[in-house]
Amino acid sequence: MDTIMSFFQSTMVTLVLQATWQTIVMVMLSTVFSMILGFPVGILLHVTSAEEQGGIIPHPLFCSVLSRIVNILRSFPFIILMIVLMPLSRLIIGTSIGTMATVIPLSIAAAPFVARVIESSLKEVDPGVVQAARAMGSTNWQIILKVLIPEALPSLVSGVTLTIINLIGYSAMAGAIGGGGLGDLAIRYGYQRFSPSYMVSAVIVIIVMVELIQFIGDRISAHLMSRR
Amino acid sequence: MQIRLRNLKRNYASLHAVDDVSLDIPSNTVYGIIGRSGAGKSTLVRLVSMLEKPDHGEVYYDDKRVDNLSKEELIKERRKIGMIFQNFNLFSSRNAEDNIAYPMEICHMDKEYIRKRTEELLALVGLEGRGKAAISTLSGGQKQRVAIARALAVKPEILFCDEATSALDPQTTRSILALIKEIQKKMNLTVVMITHQMEVVRDACDRVAVLDAGHIVEEGPVSDIFASPKSDVTKDFLSSLTNVQESIVRWSNDGGHYTLRFRGSTTDEPIISSVSAATGAVFNIRAAGVQNVNDEELGVMITDIGPDSVTAEKAVRLLIEKGVSVEEAE
Repeated sequence: MDTIMSFFQSTMVTLVLQATWQTIVMVMLSTVFSMILGFPVGILLHVTSAEEQGGIIPHPLFCSVLSRIVNILRSFPFIILMIVLMPLSRLIIGTSIGTMATVIPLSIAAAPFVARVIESSLKEVDPGVVQAARAMGSTNWQIILKVLIPEALPSLVSGVTLTIINLIGYSAMAGAIGGGGLGDLAIRYGYQRFSPSYMVSAVIVIIVMVELIQFIGDRISAHLMSRR
Repeated sequence: MQIRLRNLKRNYASLHAVDDVSLDIPSNTVYGIIGRSGAGKSTLVRLVSMLEKPDHGEVYYDDKRVDNLSKEELIKERRKIGMIFQNFNLFSSRNAEDNIAYPMEICHMDKEYIRKRTEELLALVGLEGRGKAAISTLSGGQKQRVAIARALAVKPEILFCDEATSALDPQTTRSILALIKEIQKKMNLTVVMITHQMEVVRDACDRVAVLDAGHIVEEGPVSDIFASPKSDVTKDFLSSLTNVQESIVRWSNDGGHYTLRFRGSTTDEPIISSVSAATGAVFNIRAAGVQNVNDEELGVMITDIGPDSVTAEKAVRLLIEKGVSVEEAE
């Protein structure tokens, strides 16, 4: 009996560790890719907005079209977006199942969210400071790189934290269509095989991850603020 | 550097923010532009400092037209002017010295030169050793000093001050104005000072233009404007000054039908007595004082003249003859 128990437990531990690692990889990669996709869009949304809203290169038509596209992408339920993007994953990764294949829809789903988070962070920058930078003869690039981003940095860090936590949630959902990771573990073992211990351990690991990310993000943001 | 404005116009929707303004701002002076809020000051300074393009009219720095420059030229030209603001507009992500370094950084100047110049500038504005200070740890006056240092980093020939002292207490205002005047002389700057505070004009400016509803209503040397204001707006500004001015003593809050202004030598003569003796007028003085404008003494007296209107009229005529400016309240 004892041997069976310990065997069972060690299998569970191995599975949970494996799933945790998969989740970390998925979340990290999709954070990076969604930033790469979303960051420039967020900057574009801000700089092309109306002058009263802090736009430095106002372009109302471009801004509203881009804003519409971002809204449409954000309206998709994630589960639908994953299914829609399966062919894309197959094209890029070669498969539509598994941890790596999930990174594609995760990145694309999070990108518009990232864009909005970045945009709203940049909107908080004091327009007077931007005006001063402009009066001193800064080019638009210099305003973006040397003024907007550094001034918004603490808020940008909070935005990234929020994105990572959101992605942890999304990645758990990805488990439903064979994405791997903790969500997958919870569904296949916890739900379909009626093993509450798997369900509970998966949820606990996710809670710990979220708490940890939030804690680190808050610390970095607070550290940046304390130096101002 | 001399600045010339020709028929500047700028509209917002149906509002004429700046309506046909022409001005000559001479080189190497502190030039004040005063107006109430909504008079078009902020728009005017944005037009003059190339932050905004006019709908109509021209702006010249010396003989170079600057209101129709291309993007690249505009950036080049802006790097030759300095500007300070009411809210300081310092970068909170940078400490004091990195704020001062910013305008030099964007011109890709040598790092060693930037470091040396930053030290120099910190000393110039009286903030030696505070270079590493975070902006939020500085007081309002210190912030404006950092902003001045930043504005002067690229050795501009023009310094624009947009309500630069409006967020500061009177004492700090005086020290900042003194600093600006000192720097103006040292660097032969043309300083354009936009303000709604007459005391700023009195304490710092050589010439002043009074702006009202987008128009220039009065322009001239500060001592002339103080001695004989012509427009109602200017008189308003001056009366607000006489009410708060510590050098003017007011011993009665009622009455004061006439405001007399004495300038230069007239402040030394016993004018009131001689006018009284000559016309038989009685003066009931409500408030009086002397203030120093641009190293010239200006006397102000708020008084009633009696005993009857005919005598008062005679007295006023005689006063004007003697070089006193007389304003009658409605």
